Amino acid sequence: MRLPRIFRTTTFRMTLLFLAVFAMSAAAFLFYAWFATAGEVTRRADAEITREMNSLEAVYRRGGAEALNQALIERASGERPFLYLLLDKDGKRMTGSIAESPVDEPGPGETWASFSVTDIDMDGGEIKRPARGLQERLEGGETLFVGADVGESRSFVSGIVNALWGAGALVIVLGLAGGAIVSRNVSQQMAGLTDTVAAVRGGDLKARARIRGVQDEYDELAEGLNEMLDRLERSMGGLRHAGDAIAHDLRSPLTRLRARMESALIEVEAGKGDPKQALVQALDDADGVLSTFNAVLAIARLQAAGQAPDQTCFDPGQLAADIAELYEPLCEDKGLDFKAELTPQLTVKAARPILTQALTNIIDNAIKYTPPGGAVMLRVRRRSSGEIEFSVTDTGPGVPEEHRARVVQRFVRLENSRSEPGSGLGLSLVAAVAEAHGGRLELDEGPGEYNGSGPGLRVALVLPRVE
Amino acid sequence: MRILIIEDDVEAAEAMVRGLSDNGYDCTHAADGELGLAAAQKRDFDVLIVDRMMPKMNGVQVVETLRREGDATPVLFLSAMGEVGDRVDGLKAGADDYLVKPYAFAELIARVEALSRRRETGAVATTLKVGDLEMNLIARTVHRGETEIDLQPREFQLLEFMMRHAGQSVTRTMLLEKVWEYHFDPQTNVIDVHISRLRSKIDKGFERQMLQTVRGAGYRLDP
Repeated sequence: MRLPRIFRTTTFRMTLLFLAVFAMSAAAFLFYAWFATAGEVTRRADAEITREMNSLEAVYRRGGAEALNQALIERASGERPFLYLLLDKDGKRMTGSIAESPVDEPGPGETWASFSVTDIDMDGGEIKRPARGLQERLEGGETLFVGADVGESRSFVSGIVNALWGAGALVIVLGLAGGAIVSRNVSQQMAGLTDTVAAVRGGDLKARARIRGVQDEYDELAEGLNEMLDRLERSMGGLRHAGDAIAHDLRSPLTRLRARMESALIEVEAGKGDPKQALVQALDDADGVLSTFNAVLAIARLQAAGQAPDQTCFDPGQLAADIAELYEPLCEDKGLDFKAELTPQLTVKAARPILTQALTNIIDNAIKYTPPGGAVMLRVRRRSSGEIEFSVTDTGPGVPEEHRARVVQRFVRLENSRSEPGSGLGLSLVAAVAEAHGGRLELDEGPGEYNGSGPGLRVALVLPRVE
Repeated sequence: MRILIIEDDVEAAEAMVRGLSDNGYDCTHAADGELGLAAAQKRDFDVLIVDRMMPKMNGVQVVETLRREGDATPVLFLSAMGEVGDRVDGLKAGADDYLVKPYAFAELIARVEALSRRRETGAVATTLKVGDLEMNLIARTVHRGETEIDLQPREFQLLEFMMRHAGQSVTRTMLLEKVWEYHFDPQTNVIDVHISRLRSKIDKGFERQMLQTVRGAGYRLDP
C-alpha cells in the first residue's frame, strides 16, 4: 500500500529527519536527567542513614547495648521514618521495627543493602517499596541495622521520568503534525507550478504559473518558469510566423515562375517562343525565391537563438570603413554623393559577420531607393548613453512616419517600391540582427529636400554599450 | 583532372558529374561517406567534392580522417547550411573551400577550377606575370608593358587574386569572399563596380582587353 501523497513529499521526509535528530537528543537528555535525579535520591538517603547510624553508635558508646535498645524503642515509636534492627552477639533479634536483616552476607565493617519493604495499604493490598539500609557490627559484638524507606523519593523520580516520556511523546506527535502541515503547505505552493507544467506539457503554451507577489522562492521559481515559457512561446511564434511568411512570400514568386514556364512551354511548342529566354527568366525567378528563403531562414534562426552567436569585441569604425570602401564606388557610379563619418576607437560587442550583413543591407537599401544626384551618408558614433550607433542616411523618398513601424516587419514593401528588386526582407533582417544583439533599429526622417528628392530616411542600428 | 564526388543525393551527383564532365573533368561518384573515404584513400584524385550531411559518415569526418592521414588533396565542401558556424566547421575540419546548396553551376565549376590549380602555384613567388601584366608583390607595384599602373590597396588585392587565377572564371561571390572576406550575397552589383574600375586602370588605352566578363559566371583575366 502506498502512503498518502503528503507523506511522500520531500518536506515531510525532511521533517521526519529533524524529528529523529530531535528525539534522539531528547532521549539523551531524559537519560541524563533520570541518572542524575535517581543517583541524587540514593545519595541523600545514604547520607541520612549514615548520620542516624553515627548518632546511634554515639548512644551505644555512652551507655552500651542497654541504652541503645532503649533509644531504638523510643525512636521507632517516633516520627522518624527509619527502620531499625538490633541483633545480639549470636545474631538473635533484640529489638527493631523489622523482623530480620535484609543483609544476606554481612561484611566485617559496614555493609550497604538495597531492598524492599512490604506495606499493607488501606485496601489490604501489598505494596512493595524500595529501601536502603546500612548494617554495622558494634564494638560489643552486636549488629545494628539502620534502613530508610526511599519509596517516596523514588516515586518522585519516576514521576519526573514519566513526565519526560510524556513530553517526548508529545514532541513526536506535534513534530509529525507540524511536518504534515508544512509539507501540505509546500505541496500546495508546488501544486500551482506542477499544474502549469502539466498544462504546457498538454500543449497549452499560454498556461502560466500564478505569482502571489510575496517575493519568496516559490514566486522566484514561478517567475523563472513564466519567463521561460514566454521565451518559448515567442520562439515558437517566430517559427510559426516564419512558416506563414515563407508560405506567403514564396507562393507568389513560385506561382509566377510556374506561370511563366507554362506559357513559355506553350509558345515553344507552337514554335513561336524562345526557349532560352524562358529558361533565363525561370532561373532568375528561382534565384529570387532562394534569396527570400535564405533571408527568412536567417531571421528565423536569429529569433530562435535569441542571441547572436560568437560575439567578439572590435572597433565599429573599422568595420564601417571596410564597408564604406566596398560601397563607395557603387554610389559614385550611380551618381550619389557618398560620405562616411566614423568616430575612431570605439568598441562594440557583436557577431561581426552578421552585423556586417545587416549594415550592407541598410546601405543596399539606401543606394537602391535614392535617385541619382542624391547623397548617402554612413555614420558611426557613440551616443551620450554609451550606446553605439551605426546610421545610414539617404535622400530618397523616405518612409512616411505611419509606415515606419511596418517597414521593419517581415516582407513589407511599400507600394511605390514594388518595381525595385529585392526580397523585401532587408530591414526585417536588420531588425532581427539588432534584437539578437540586445539593440534596436530606429527609423527617422532624413535631411529633408535634397536635389529635387527627399525627405530621405535615416536608419540607425543601435547596439548596447560595452561594459 | 580527376574529381571524386562524395554525395548521397544521387540526382544531384549525376547533375554534377554531367556538368563537370562537359567541362573536361573526369568524375567518380561515391554514394556515402564510407565509400567516399575508401575511394579518396587511393589518392588518385585532384579535387574532392564532399557533401556535409551523409549517411554512415558525414563530410566533416571524411575530411578530418583524410587530413589526419596526411592527405592534402584540395576539398570543396558542399552543404545546405549556410550559417557562419557551419562554414567555419567545414574549413576547420580541413576543407579548402565551401559552397552552399543550392548553387549556380558556374559557381561550382569556378571553385573546382580554382582548387584543381591550386597546387601548381605552390612555390613562393615575389612577382606575378600574366601576359604583359607584371605584379611585384614586394614593392607592391604593377606594370603593363612599360606603363606603371597606380592601384588602391584593395584594387591591388583584387588584381593579385585575378592574376593568381589567370585564365579561370572567378565568380562575384568568390571575389567577395577571398578579397573582401565577406560571406554573404550582396543584393547590388558592388563587385561589378570594383571590377570595372580595375578594368579601366589595366585595360584602358590598350588594344587587348585582359579582364573579361564571363556571361552567367563572373570574370576572367586572360593573358
